[in-house]
Amino acid sequence: MKLLLSLIPSLLISGACVASAASSWSFEDATLTVQGKGTGVGAGAKEKLNPSSPLSKSVALGATDTLKLLLTATDGKKAKRPHQAFLTLTDPTTGLEESFVLSVKESGKGKVDLTHKDLPIQFLTSSKPIPASIVIGSFGSSTPYKSKVFDLSVTRDPNVPLAIPEKPVRYAAESEIHHIFRADPRSPPKIITLVFAAAVVGALPILFGLWATLGANVNHMGKALGNAPVSHALFFGSILAMEGIFFMYYTTWNLFQTLPAAAVVSIVAFLSGSRALSEVQERRLAGLR
Amino acid sequence: MRWFFSFLCAALLGLSSALSSSGSRLLVVLEDVAEKGSYGGFFGDLEARGFHLAFETPKSPSLALLKFGELAYDHLLLLPTKAKGLGPALTATQLLEFMKKEGNILLALSGDHGTPTAVQSLLLELDIHLPSDRNSLVVDHFNYDGESAKDKHDVVLVPFPKVVRTDVKDYFGGEGVIAVPRAVGQTLGNESPLLAPILRAPSTAYSYNPKDESEIVEDPFAVGAQLNLVSAMQAHNSARLTILGSAEMLQDAWFEAKASLNGKAITTANRDFVAKVSGWTFKELGVLKIGKFVHYLDEGVSKKVNTSSAIPENNPSIYRIKNDVTFQVPISEYVSTHWTPYTPPSGDNIQLEFSMLSPFHRLNLSPLSQTANATLFGTTFKTPDQHGIFNFRVDYKRPFLTNIDEKRQVTVRHFAHDEWPRSWQISGAWVWIAGIWVTVGAWVGFIALWLYSAPTEKVGGKKTQ
Repeated sequence: MKLLLSLIPSLLISGACVASAASSWSFEDATLTVQGKGTGVGAGAKEKLNPSSPLSKSVALGATDTLKLLLTATDGKKAKRPHQAFLTLTDPTTGLEESFVLSVKESGKGKVDLTHKDLPIQFLTSSKPIPASIVIGSFGSSTPYKSKVFDLSVTRDPNVPLAIPEKPVRYAAESEIHHIFRADPRSPPKIITLVFAAAVVGALPILFGLWATLGANVNHMGKALGNAPVSHALFFGSILAMEGIFFMYYTTWNLFQTLPAAAVVSIVAFLSGSRALSEVQERRLAGLR
Repeated sequence: MRWFFSFLCAALLGLSSALSSSGSRLLVVLEDVAEKGSYGGFFGDLEARGFHLAFETPKSPSLALLKFGELAYDHLLLLPTKAKGLGPALTATQLLEFMKKEGNILLALSGDHGTPTAVQSLLLELDIHLPSDRNSLVVDHFNYDGESAKDKHDVVLVPFPKVVRTDVKDYFGGEGVIAVPRAVGQTLGNESPLLAPILRAPSTAYSYNPKDESEIVEDPFAVGAQLNLVSAMQAHNSARLTILGSAEMLQDAWFEAKASLNGKAITTANRDFVAKVSGWTFKELGVLKIGKFVHYLDEGVSKKVNTSSAIPENNPSIYRIKNDVTFQVPISEYVSTHWTPYTPPSGDNIQLEFSMLSPFHRLNLSPLSQTANATLFGTTFKTPDQHGIFNFRVDYKRPFLTNIDEKRQVTVRHFAHDEWPRSWQISGAWVWIAGIWVTVGAWVGFIALWLYSAPTEKVGGKKTQ
């Protein structure tokens, strides 16, 4: 019994299948015309469409052309008016679909015109041919029809600019940004630097050498130290110390360490300098300079 | 006896702990309270998930979405009513006000009843469009239920939706076929990122008005996948509005109904799908929570070893340009009952922006570790060579997820005078440094000569001549 009960729905279904197989929607006498602007009626490429197999070559639609599709919808073998008769274009990459409604008369004869103006921008810019299928269906038990009938390749005049609308905002991860840092300051090649630094350093011995050839000497040092030992030592020492303070300031000290030290050294230099310089004056007056 | 009651209460509390992340008070508005019997399974599921249901009719004088300016209910389920208007308590403005307070709305339409004007103007404001005539419904001659709609083809059978984008989390996927009886199709405006389709109609479906006398559909409202059977809107404040094209989807009759699709017997999976849609709408799914930002100066390995200053100061208010900074943030996702670690879908990334007016850095955050209920995301970067007031900003807005937009301000200062490289470290300066010290040496030498030089015989001799 149980088996029988479970069989009933499947029996019903198979019955429905049989019933629907008895009549199914299709079309006949379908012609496809692509007509250029200005050419007369009947001119232009004409193709016959077959409900069971698509056209082997794709249909080109130019910017000024009009595509005309004429067909007669049939239910079983009879021509009949369906509730739904669409020409559906599907973008092969994005899956975008657009359907164009065929205006079908009482007799089942339907037609649709298609120009570039009717197509959404995605189809106009598509590089691949767009599969076009015909959908015929209606209420009741007849099996509806949907099959690809031809490929539409949209040709566009590349010189005519296309107003492509801006992409709408969608929430998604944006592209990464990595800050581009300014280039680090660069130094000239070290060899050049070293050559010029050597030239500068070399100038000092040359200067001393030149002075020596002109008769420069430090012969009176003993005399000066003998006449005023404390003030000379302090004076020359304080000048050296001042340079030392500058060196410390350059390397480690800050201004508040530098200034007191410089003040102390300059007082020493002032006091000892007046004594030391009067000793130098004495030597000058004695004709020893 | 009393202890038994308290024990029972505690047990019940424990049972009803499965709660929405934003509250459990749910108001159901329907034509007649007696009608709720036909939705018994759905309401039972909601109650089992911890919602406290209240039932009202639009005419009820006690009906109010807001009380003293605050939400009287956290969620609203609007079932179709026969009347053209929804009464003074449910105007489009009040529904929007409800959403502004972060109330969520599940709106069920029906092709049998027509859509109330308040709902229509609410949807129009959100750029969701319904067919202009009141009785339009969606038919599909290819995917209809052969049992209940053999002739009319108005019970559309669709598989569970697939995610269209790889970087969007799948909250509505599943196994099986969903029955959508007598649905009102919607189309969504293209401009708004807040709108998202949940369930699209099959490619051969279209919307038509059965009251229309003509034998053929001439100017359908929308066709194929452009027609949505279920669509969603999530406002900037993350309040959710879901439009269910067919209220009958929620009814017991369709929960696990026997149907046949092109001769094959199937059982509809409406119960599963409806649970997912209502769970998403009432914030049981797709709710994100962002934890505290942690950022600190990354001084490298060498400075971190065994010193008391090895532990970097967290979240300092100031950085220098070209500092290495580490940034971390925990993010959790609410799944039905509790917070879980969040993992973004494979094509998606959580991004950190380091911005002053415009972002200087926009970096993908990578998951570092997981705790019981949060994933720690982080990255390390170098502050740009531009001083100013910058923001750490995590702006994570994705379809079907609540919005995250968090900012933390820091100052980026330029180099202090003693942070530059010393002049002897710059090889180009060596010539000038040498020049200075040569001058110093020459000066000291000159003083020594001036003080201690003795007159030479020669020069003296020449002078006498």
